[in-house]
Amino acid sequence: MNNNLGIIVRREFMERVGKKSFIVTTLLMPLLMLLMMALPALIAIFSTPSDKTIAVCDQSGVVMPLLQDAGLDHLTFVTASAPADSAIHDSGYYGVLSIPTDIVARPSSAMLFLHEGGSVETESAIRNLIKEAVRDQRMKAYDINNLQQILDETNVEVSLQTIRVDETGAGEATSSALSFGIGMFMTFLLYMFLLMYGQLVMTSIIEEKNNRVLELVVSSVKPIHLMLGKIFGVGLVAVVQIVIWGALLCAMSAFLLPLLIPAEVGQQVAMFDTGSLSAGTDTLDPDLLNAISLFSSVGYIAKLFGFILIFLIGGFLFYASIFAAIGSAVDNVQDASQLTSFAILPIIVGLIVGMTAGSDPNSTLAFWTSVIPFTSPMVMLMRVPFGIPSWEIWLALGLLYLSFLGMVWIAAKIYRIGIFMYGKKPSLRDLIRWARYK
Amino acid sequence: MDILKVNNVSKRYTNHVALDDVSLSVPEGSIYGLLGPNGAGKTTLIRIINHITAPDSGSVEFLGHPLTADDVVNIGYLPEERGLYKKMRVGDQALFFARLKGLKTKEATAELRKWFDRFGISDWWNRKVEELSKGMAQKVQFIVTVLHRPKLLIFDEPFSGFDPINADLLKNEILRLRDEGATVIFSTHNMDSVETLCDNITLINRSHNILSGNVTEIRQRMGRGRYRLSFEGDPQALLAALGDRVVDHTFEKEVNSPVTNARLLLQPDVTIRETISLANGSVDLVSFDRAMPSMNEIFIHTVKNNEQ
Repeated sequence: MNNNLGIIVRREFMERVGKKSFIVTTLLMPLLMLLMMALPALIAIFSTPSDKTIAVCDQSGVVMPLLQDAGLDHLTFVTASAPADSAIHDSGYYGVLSIPTDIVARPSSAMLFLHEGGSVETESAIRNLIKEAVRDQRMKAYDINNLQQILDETNVEVSLQTIRVDETGAGEATSSALSFGIGMFMTFLLYMFLLMYGQLVMTSIIEEKNNRVLELVVSSVKPIHLMLGKIFGVGLVAVVQIVIWGALLCAMSAFLLPLLIPAEVGQQVAMFDTGSLSAGTDTLDPDLLNAISLFSSVGYIAKLFGFILIFLIGGFLFYASIFAAIGSAVDNVQDASQLTSFAILPIIVGLIVGMTAGSDPNSTLAFWTSVIPFTSPMVMLMRVPFGIPSWEIWLALGLLYLSFLGMVWIAAKIYRIGIFMYGKKPSLRDLIRWARYK
Repeated sequence: MDILKVNNVSKRYTNHVALDDVSLSVPEGSIYGLLGPNGAGKTTLIRIINHITAPDSGSVEFLGHPLTADDVVNIGYLPEERGLYKKMRVGDQALFFARLKGLKTKEATAELRKWFDRFGISDWWNRKVEELSKGMAQKVQFIVTVLHRPKLLIFDEPFSGFDPINADLLKNEILRLRDEGATVIFSTHNMDSVETLCDNITLINRSHNILSGNVTEIRQRMGRGRYRLSFEGDPQALLAALGDRVVDHTFEKEVNSPVTNARLLLQPDVTIRETISLANGSVDLVSFDRAMPSMNEIFIHTVKNNEQ
């Protein structure tokens, strides 16, 4: 009879994987994500702001030289040929900037007249230039020797290299910002999958029940096998999708990334990896080097996807059992909405707690929510990139898979009653009563 | 030998009793009618026989041993409410159900081809189910039910949704399967088909078995003392001749002829010979016949009596 479980799983799997929509989403989704990441850069490249000329009436004489030397793109400053109040009528200019004589004493007295709505960018550029001019003038008033040199020497950029030391004492370069980003990505991916595929299990059970194919199937298959077959079949689809994405990412990191990185960056990454990057040398930001280093490591990406997979499988099995029980009890998706909140709410809580856990991955809240089955898949994935003791991961996994067994046992009891119930919209109390039947 | 024995089966749900101490035996190789008003408990009984639900008390014997989950490969069940996976192709779907009943892909494919040819639907193999009409889907469901050559076939309202031509095709297939050795349990509200198909019946009302037996015997038993006759002459003269032997009667004069049609219910101990000679002395008999009640009459009469 267990052979039947295999036949059901196969049918559920083939029905979904064979669909065009699955193939399209699986291949297009990563492209779409890449595009989203590249979008801001693309917008910056392709959106060229219009050229603007601003007439300046500089009565102080200290701001204009700076404005002219600033060399801002698309923004030109010319000395106004007439006083401000008459220059404003000359529509050849984008606007007129009026600087009073006492600008150094009263920096907020400058005025900008425009024919049309202003732009944040232009205004902040002008504000910064005036600020710089005023500051220069005020500093000059102190009459310090070699002022410019002193300023240049004292202006330093600081970046911090974080080394996490694990149990064995080996150091590993980390970056909290990077870990947060990776954790966020994994948590969100899992959240998406649990909701999407969990509800898929539910709606497809409702559909089977509605079109009465169920009556035909249960005469050959035990209800619990039918339910498990559905859960496993749909779960397998999710696993295949994640594996494909993981493989695509690994392939990109192995073949595409080396082509995109310039040679000198590559050298710095290599030095960063061996720890021979001496302090003080002028290099790229360590966070960036760290990110490049991680994403060029196929092993690291494979490991991340491994984590996603084991928590996805556990979390999916757990939640899909709940969704299956709900689906069996109702006649249509509308009736299900009230009951589904019992499944959806913990998933959302998991996502939210997961996000906050990113800012303090070792807090008590983060620890407990990452081992308790309802929220553990999401929160644990957030904590994993920060490097946590492996026993915590094993504990969370053990609890998750154990509670799947418990949940599927309860769900099967509800399912075998629910699939034959038509008409009345069941309440949570009904479900609990069915679960208690002998 | 009885292929199926249901012994004192009871099933309760939270708010009502679906079956109360129901017993019946289905002889091998026969067609057995399972009758009863809506909600009487037929579907529950069928589900118990299919090992979908378990009885609270009582037992089911199949082929001489207690029914187990493994027996379902020897049972084919066509439920009243039936559907198919809409997005699946007809051939794949039929194969799926065949494999669930334990057939290997190869033999299932060969068998399916035979059935598809017989029903003239070979070109449906690669069509999606959602493209089929209701009647077409019913044909596929029927094939799926009988494909694995089950020893026991259970049809719940098999003819609903079929046009007369296809209903006839189906009826002949059921008879053919019976002739090849299968036993058929047949649940329906169509009493005409019970008369033409069933050897034995059980009538369930309000979760009890209220009537079981051979169809002909039941009709004869229920028909005792009932006669149908046509005659020329005065109906009152006939009644006077028969005297207090008559329990009930109806007369109907034909419009353009002198003939009157009568239905009589006489005392059970009155013989046919006695009746004919008494009638002949008072009127001119045109025809005389024992009136067998239809299954429809028996159904209504028995259920009404049971409700009182």
